[in-house]
Amino acid sequence: MQAIPLVTPADPTATRSILTEGYLTQPMLMAHAGWRSLHGVLTLNFEGLTQERGELTTGAYGEGYVDRRHPHAYVHELLAGVEDSVRGTHLSLYAGRGFAPFGSDDPMVRPFEKYPVNHHLAQILERVLVVGAARVGPVIGELGVFNGDEPLSPGSPPRYSRFGDSWSSRLTYLPVRFVELAASIAQVKSPEVPDGHGLDQKKYDVYSRYDRRTADSRVYGLLEWAHTNEHASGAISTSLSSWMGEAAVCKRDAMAGVRLEGADRPEEERLADPFRTPRPASDLSNLGVSHWTTLTVALTAPRLVAKSFSARPFVEAARIHAGRGDPPGLFDADLRYGTSSMWMYSLGVRLKVGTIHDRMGRYGAAVVPEPGTGNGSNGSHNMPGMVMPGHSTNSVCTL
Amino acid sequence: MKSCRLNLLLAALAAALCACGSDSPSVDSPQDTTSISTEPLTSAACPAVNFGKRPAPLTLTAATPPALQVFGVGNETGRYTAEVAARGTTAYTTTWGARTAVGNKIDIWDVSGATPTLVDSVIVSGASTLGDVAVSDDGKLLVVATERSGGSIVIFDLTDPRHPRQISRFTNQETDPGVHTAEIGRVNGKLYAFLSIDPVGSIHAKLVIVDLSDPANPQQVYSKVAGNPYVHDTFVRDGLLFVALWDDGVEIWDIGGCGTGATPAAPRVLGNVHTVGGQVHNIWWFHDASGGKRFAFVGQEGPGSIGSSSAGDIHVVDISDPTAPKEVGFYHVDGAGTHNFSVDEANGVLYAAYYNGGVRAIDVRGDLKTCLPSQQNFTTGGNITRCDLRLMGREIGVGLVELNRGVYVWGVQYLGGTIYASDMVNGIWKLKAAK
Repeated sequence: MQAIPLVTPADPTATRSILTEGYLTQPMLMAHAGWRSLHGVLTLNFEGLTQERGELTTGAYGEGYVDRRHPHAYVHELLAGVEDSVRGTHLSLYAGRGFAPFGSDDPMVRPFEKYPVNHHLAQILERVLVVGAARVGPVIGELGVFNGDEPLSPGSPPRYSRFGDSWSSRLTYLPVRFVELAASIAQVKSPEVPDGHGLDQKKYDVYSRYDRRTADSRVYGLLEWAHTNEHASGAISTSLSSWMGEAAVCKRDAMAGVRLEGADRPEEERLADPFRTPRPASDLSNLGVSHWTTLTVALTAPRLVAKSFSARPFVEAARIHAGRGDPPGLFDADLRYGTSSMWMYSLGVRLKVGTIHDRMGRYGAAVVPEPGTGNGSNGSHNMPGMVMPGHSTNSVCTL
Repeated sequence: MKSCRLNLLLAALAAALCACGSDSPSVDSPQDTTSISTEPLTSAACPAVNFGKRPAPLTLTAATPPALQVFGVGNETGRYTAEVAARGTTAYTTTWGARTAVGNKIDIWDVSGATPTLVDSVIVSGASTLGDVAVSDDGKLLVVATERSGGSIVIFDLTDPRHPRQISRFTNQETDPGVHTAEIGRVNGKLYAFLSIDPVGSIHAKLVIVDLSDPANPQQVYSKVAGNPYVHDTFVRDGLLFVALWDDGVEIWDIGGCGTGATPAAPRVLGNVHTVGGQVHNIWWFHDASGGKRFAFVGQEGPGSIGSSSAGDIHVVDISDPTAPKEVGFYHVDGAGTHNFSVDEANGVLYAAYYNGGVRAIDVRGDLKTCLPSQQNFTTGGNITRCDLRLMGREIGVGLVELNRGVYVWGVQYLGGTIYASDMVNGIWKLKAAK
C-alpha cells in the first residue's frame, strides 16, 4: 500500500496566480497472486476519493484536466494471466484492465512524484485488454488489443463494446545487464470521445533505460522520445512530440534526481474552471499546440522504517517554460498564465506499507528480469516475507 | 437569352460526346432542362412542399476569384469573437472561450458606416462562452446560446435594437452542460428555438426544441438524443428541420411543413444522407430566386487548430426527394475549412465563413448537380461522383485573405449588398458582397 501526503505550490498556474494545494495523492493498494502458471495483478487507486479535482501539475493534461494531473481509475490494474516456458521461450497471456504494451513505466513507480507532461504520449493505461508476450533470450515482444476510449472518471466503466478497436505492440531488447531498449507503436481509436468518431491516434515511443542496483545504491536513467499523430479520415490533424531524460542516484537510501523534458500539449477550450476542459469536446478542433520545457530536481531523504511501514520525505522543484508549439493556434502563455516561465514545488512523504510494484506497465513474460535474479515473473512467488519480482522491497534505494 | 440558349446547346453537345464510351460513374451531364422537366415537384412523403423545377445548368469558366472589397473592421481584442447576426444597421456578435476575458459578452455594433462601431455590449451572467446568436424574423427578439458553465438560451427584447433587454432565460437539466447552437425559426406561425446540446461524460448530445411564442416564458416541447457523437446545428425553414448529426450525416425532419400532421413536438424523420467525410456541422436549405428548393448546403467541420488551421468542405445535397437526399457536389479549399453560411438567395451567392481561409463567395445559381466530366470528382470512400464547384467556375470571391493579417472567420451574414464577417481574432468585418 502506498499514499503520499503532498503540498504543491504552483507559481503561477492557470489562475494567473500562485496556488498552493495539499492532498493525499497516489493512494494505492497493490497485490499480486500466483498459483502454478496462473497469475493475478491488482492495483487499486483511490485518487478519485482524495483528489477528484486533480493534482496541481503545471503543464499536465489529459482526460478533461489541464495543469492538473487527472485522478486515475479506481481499478488501475486488474488482470489475470497464464505464463509458461516452452523450449526456452517464456510466454504469457494476460487479460483484464491495465496497461497496453506501449511506452515506458507508469510515472508512479519512477523516482519523481510529479508526472511528466508526456504521460498521455508515453503510456496507454486503464484499458480492457488482452496482451500476449514472449521472451526469447534478451528480446521481449508484446502485442495487445484493447478499447481505445480513455476512462471518463475514476469510477466509470470502460466501453466493453469497443474492446479490440485499438492495438499496440512493444519490442524490448536487453543488450547488457542493467540496460533496456524498447520501441513501441500503437493505433488508438477515438480515445477522447467514448462513443467513437473522435480523432484517432497513431503513437510511437522509443526509450532506453538504465537501472543498476546494489545493496546500498542505485543509479537510474531513462531517455525517452514519444510521438503521437492525431488523425481524422486518414489525414494527420495534429502532431505531438516529446523528449525526456530523467536520472536518479541513490546512496545509503538518500536519492537525488533530475528530469529535463520538452513536450507538446494540445490546447483545448477551458471550462469556467480553468483546470478543466470539455469532455468530450463538441468538435475535433483544438486551440493550437503549446510546448513545455520542464526541469525538475528531486531530493529524497532516507526512509524511516517501522516494521513493514516506511516513510520517505521528499522535495521537488520544477522550473517550467511554456512556449508556442506547431501550430500555435490561439495559445499565448502570457495570456493564460501571465508569464511564460513558472515554478512548481512539491513537498511530501511517500508512505508505504509492505511492498509496491517496482515496475508498472508490463505483464508476465514482458516483465524485465531484475538484474541478478534472472526472474521476470510478476506474481509467481507471492509468499509473505519473500521478495516479489516486480515489486520493490524494503531495502534501501527503492521507492 | 441567346447566350443562354447557346450555352445549353453546347453543354448538351458536350454531354452527348462524353457519354460515348464512358464507363465511369457519372452524374448528369449538362443538358437542356426540357429533358428533366418531368421530375416531380413534390415528394409523396412531403406533399405540401413544392421543391420546384430543377434549374437550368449554368456554364461558367473557372478563374482566380477576385478579392471581396473590405470596408472596415470593428475591433474586439479583449475576447474571441464568435457568431454574428445583423439586422438593419445593427450587428450583434457573441464572444467565446477565454482571452484576456471570458466569452460572456455580446457586442452590439452600429454598421451603418464603413467601419462597424461598438455602441453597446451586454454581459451575460453565469456564462463563459456564448456560441450562437440569432435575431427573430420579425426583428423583435435576440436569442443567445450559453455554453460550458451551465447551458441556456437567453432571450432579449429588441425594441431598442442597440440596447437589448433581457426578458427571459431558458435552462433546465436538458440544456446542460451547454447549448452549442440555437437556431430560431417559425413553424406554422409560431416561433421556436432549436437547441443542440453538448454531450458530457457518458451523457449523449441532444436536440431540444423550445416554444418561444411567449418569449417571457419559453416552453420545451421536445427533446431527443441525437448525433454521432453529437448533434451540432440545425436549419429550420418552411416546416422542415435539417439536423446536423456529425458522422450520422444530415437528417431531414418534418416538423409541420409537409402537411402530414407532424409538429415540432412530434416531428417525423423524412430521410438522411451521409455526406462524404461526415463531420456535419451546419446546413442551409437554399431557395433560389425562381422558387427552386432542391439543394441544401452542408458544412463539414474537420479538425483544426483555432487561429491557425482548419479543414472541411461544403457539400451540395439534392433534397428534392427528402426521403432519399443525395450528395451531388462539393467545394474544397486547400488548407482551410468551412464554418457557417449565409446566402444571398436573390442573386444566388453562398457566402461561407472559412476560418483561416477568410470568406468565400460561391455562385450557386443553376443546376448544381449537372457538370462536365472534367468538373466531376469520384470519391472512392463514398462511392459517388460529385460536381466540383471550383472546377465549375463557381468560386467568385475571396475575402480577408489578401490582408495577410491572420483571420479566423467564424460566421458571416449577408445583408443588403454587404457581408458581415465575425473573426475570432479581430472582431467584425464589413465587406462588399460579390458581384
